[in-house]
Amino acid sequence: MQIIHEREGEKLVVYLTDELDQHSARKVIEALDRLALLYAEESIVLDLGRLTFMDSSGLAVAINLHRTLEQTGRHLTIRHTPPQAMRVFQAAHLEKYITFEQMGDEKACKH
Amino acid sequence: MQTLNRMTLRFDSRSVNEAFARMTVAAFVAQLDPTLEELNDIKTVVSEAVTNAIVHGYRDRVGEIVVSARLLEGGYAEIKVKDHGCGIADVEQARQPLFTTGDAERSGMGFTIMESFSDKLRVRSAVGRGTTVTMLRQIMGRNGASA
Repeated sequence: MQIIHEREGEKLVVYLTDELDQHSARKVIEALDRLALLYAEESIVLDLGRLTFMDSSGLAVAINLHRTLEQTGRHLTIRHTPPQAMRVFQAAHLEKYITFEQMGDEKACKH
Repeated sequence: MQTLNRMTLRFDSRSVNEAFARMTVAAFVAQLDPTLEELNDIKTVVSEAVTNAIVHGYRDRVGEIVVSARLLEGGYAEIKVKDHGCGIADVEQARQPLFTTGDAERSGMGFTIMESFSDKLRVRSAVGRGTTVTMLRQIMGRNGASA
């Protein structure tokens, strides 16, 4: 699992790669907490386009980051979610609470 | 239903083995010529069940997890994930969405995901003796017909 981040306008984009499961989740949660603290003004875009697998540990990652950002009036967007990971998010109805932006979307939308 | 093929895996309850378990079961089920979505569903349910065994079953120790899979007549895959860990006191409560006894990296949605991605899910557990999760999934395959 690699966690890569870069500024994109006024947002911080974080790319997660490879597989997100319980084995990698703690490292990802801790890294995202650090980034949210370091970039205290920015909303975060989580780009999952390079993810090859995600189980419900990914839900915990998203919920944890969503709560952290929400406490400081910021916003989480998840984009480029692969179909397998999207099915996991949808099974948990997370699209009701978090903004998902798919490949080719020009603007974020709630499903 | 007649068994066409079977396999068994035994491994330590270490999180590094989650990927090994789901990849191996997926490779075995590939004999049924599943679609990519079906294969991903199999990987997901195996990952969830094995994670539960590691995080909840063997919370304070390393134990043995046994994953067995059978390919059945009609294109069905049956997967069992068994541990000899602490067991679940209230299975119905554990199957409720958002219920978890785990840490921040657990969402409490493991059983919900397993139920969503399989046709049948059975959980048998006894406190102090362990838990067995059995999942059944029909593989329609890339030609849309069962093997």
